Amino acid sequence: MPRSRLSTKKLAQRIDMGYFKRPHPFRRLRSILSICLPLLALIWLGWYALARNNRVYSSGTLSRSHAVLTQECGACHLKESGSFTAKASDHACESCHDGPIHHANQTFQPNCSSCHQEHRGHLRLAATADTSCTQCHADLHSNGPSPHFAHDITRFDGGHPEFAAVRSGSSDPGTIKLNHAIHLRHDLKGPNGSVQLDCTDCHRTAATKESWKFGSTTPASAQVEAKDIPPSKQTGRANMVPIAYTKHCSACHGLQFDPRFQEQVPHDTPAVIHAFLLQKFQQYIPSHPSELRVAAPNRNLPQQPVTTTSRVLTAQEWVTLRVAESEELLWRKTCPQCHSLVLAPNAQLPLITKSNIPPRWFTHAVFDHDAHKFLKCAECHAAATTSQATADVLLPGIQTCEKCHHRGAESAESRCFECHTYHDWTKEKSVKGSFTFRAGAASTGNATAQ
Amino acid sequence: MTLVSLGVATAVYIIYATRSASGPRGGSSIGLAFGIIGSACMIFAGLLGARKKVPVWRLGRAQTWMRGHLWLGLLSLPLICFHAGFRFGGLLTSVLMILLIVVVASGIFGAALQHYMPSIVTDRVPMETIFEQIGNIRAQLIAEADEMVDAMCGPPSLELAAVAKIMPVGATTVPDASGGTLPLRKFYSGELRPFLRNENKVSTPLADETKAAAMFDGLRTLLPGNMHETIGNLEQICEEERQLRRQVTFHHWLHGWLILHVPLSLALLLLGFAHAIMALHY
Repeated sequence: MPRSRLSTKKLAQRIDMGYFKRPHPFRRLRSILSICLPLLALIWLGWYALARNNRVYSSGTLSRSHAVLTQECGACHLKESGSFTAKASDHACESCHDGPIHHANQTFQPNCSSCHQEHRGHLRLAATADTSCTQCHADLHSNGPSPHFAHDITRFDGGHPEFAAVRSGSSDPGTIKLNHAIHLRHDLKGPNGSVQLDCTDCHRTAATKESWKFGSTTPASAQVEAKDIPPSKQTGRANMVPIAYTKHCSACHGLQFDPRFQEQVPHDTPAVIHAFLLQKFQQYIPSHPSELRVAAPNRNLPQQPVTTTSRVLTAQEWVTLRVAESEELLWRKTCPQCHSLVLAPNAQLPLITKSNIPPRWFTHAVFDHDAHKFLKCAECHAAATTSQATADVLLPGIQTCEKCHHRGAESAESRCFECHTYHDWTKEKSVKGSFTFRAGAASTGNATAQ
Repeated sequence: MTLVSLGVATAVYIIYATRSASGPRGGSSIGLAFGIIGSACMIFAGLLGARKKVPVWRLGRAQTWMRGHLWLGLLSLPLICFHAGFRFGGLLTSVLMILLIVVVASGIFGAALQHYMPSIVTDRVPMETIFEQIGNIRAQLIAEADEMVDAMCGPPSLELAAVAKIMPVGATTVPDASGGTLPLRKFYSGELRPFLRNENKVSTPLADETKAAAMFDGLRTLLPGNMHETIGNLEQICEEERQLRRQVTFHHWLHGWLILHVPLSLALLLLGFAHAIMALHY
């Protein structure tokens, strides 16, 4: 019998009317999992709650410097009484850090967390995004007088004005006459024959331990550090020590004043030099009385024999004469080689113009020479090799820095924080510590805030 | 509408991300707004299950709910990504993000299956039946085939006696084993019945339409013409079994993804709620 001629009864018997009462395995499995998985999630959260561990709710790994506080959410998330929220406020930051104000006339003061982003992984908190700075400096306004800084700085490469020190029309305010080109000649006359000076023979950071080749034997000691750098971070490696005669010039540029003496006059004010000369000659003449007799030749007249007569000076006269001769040499030749002197007609001693050598050129930025020591000096200070005038500014312009510091993965850091700091560290206040080691956990170094 | 919303959200995010001093954060005003809207989309998507459970609720058409479930569920992923600033964050937020991605991906997969497969099922399973009836139908097919073969070849015990050349109980002679029905019985016992009972551990030729047709054609050459109708019926039963198997496979594909999608979405909603509470706290 063909199957197509099956009776309706047979066809109806194909339907099992109770099929819907038996859930399909898929549906059963789905129902079981729909209960088990959320339950598992609850158990997971409950486990952390029982262990009093809130790390599960952290929005990201803490920075390396705050990693010790990973288990101590309350160190930063201070819960105010009666309030549900426990946001990380500036008050929590200030329990460990001082963040001096940037500028008295700034239009608003951002929160600590708006620039220093936590929970973003093992990043440097001080490495702030440019937007933290450009939110003001891209359109700079002030609560006080109009700021004298550029008003529209958006980024370093392509959006930053030229450095103030090297802008057109700027010059070195120093009054010491120095010709770099001569000093860098290969056959320069030195104390013991020809010398070839190197940049580091005169320019070094305070951290350099080697003694000065052409100066005093003591290494550099004076530090010139920026107010931008917290005192705790100053290493003496960033900036060059200011030029000083004793350290950098004395070996070649002697201050001899008289053949009678090996000594040189002190590199000091004219009054001190004058007093020194007086003392020297006054001490000298009692032991050399023969020098009091000085020849006083007549005028050498034509067709007249030259007769010499001598006269004997008093000690005072002799000293006065010698001091005058020495000062003539010093004020007219020796000192003016480097200094600008003003000899007033009736003044006894000249006025020496202040040297005015800037100890730091970038007063609003931080530059670290130590970080750049892999470069040849002339790579950045190219003008130094040919500079002949003191007024030449031998600093590199922004284009030199942009060769390495620009945006991109294969370049040096170019964000604002690399050279500028927000906090004015001259106004830094000390912070009194408030953390203790947790009892029983001192060996692990876990800290808890009181 | 969803695409327009996505476009607007993307534009807002780009402006917010580029201009924000501290970068995109979930705790900022805009970040929170993205999170709230994304969560609302997820909650609405989750309510589809409740709507299905209580169909008498006259809260819009089921089709509208399904459309909302699909589009708002899809929209929730980019919104939550905007909320998170495209970061995974900590432990709970990483788990949430992974759950969301898996739920949305499984949902897209399921939606694609449910869009394309019904036409495939209609085309390849013309004898489609109610899925839960398949076991019952299969049993009926076996009974029907047994009846046909027994009617043609006699009871199985008689045939075994003929093969073994022994006299069955109650019989007076040894049955003739050289009868024309033996190939049918052998084929039915060895191939077709195990196939109908779904006992084949390895693939059987009967599972393939072409090979099965060849087998039945071969059987027809071995058997007399009066048995060809029975062979034809058995071939139909075999085809029906193939379609039942095909229907099972399609059903597993159409509904299996829900085993992942539904439980994970419930876990996602629960953990998302916990995240919202604790994030607002901190």
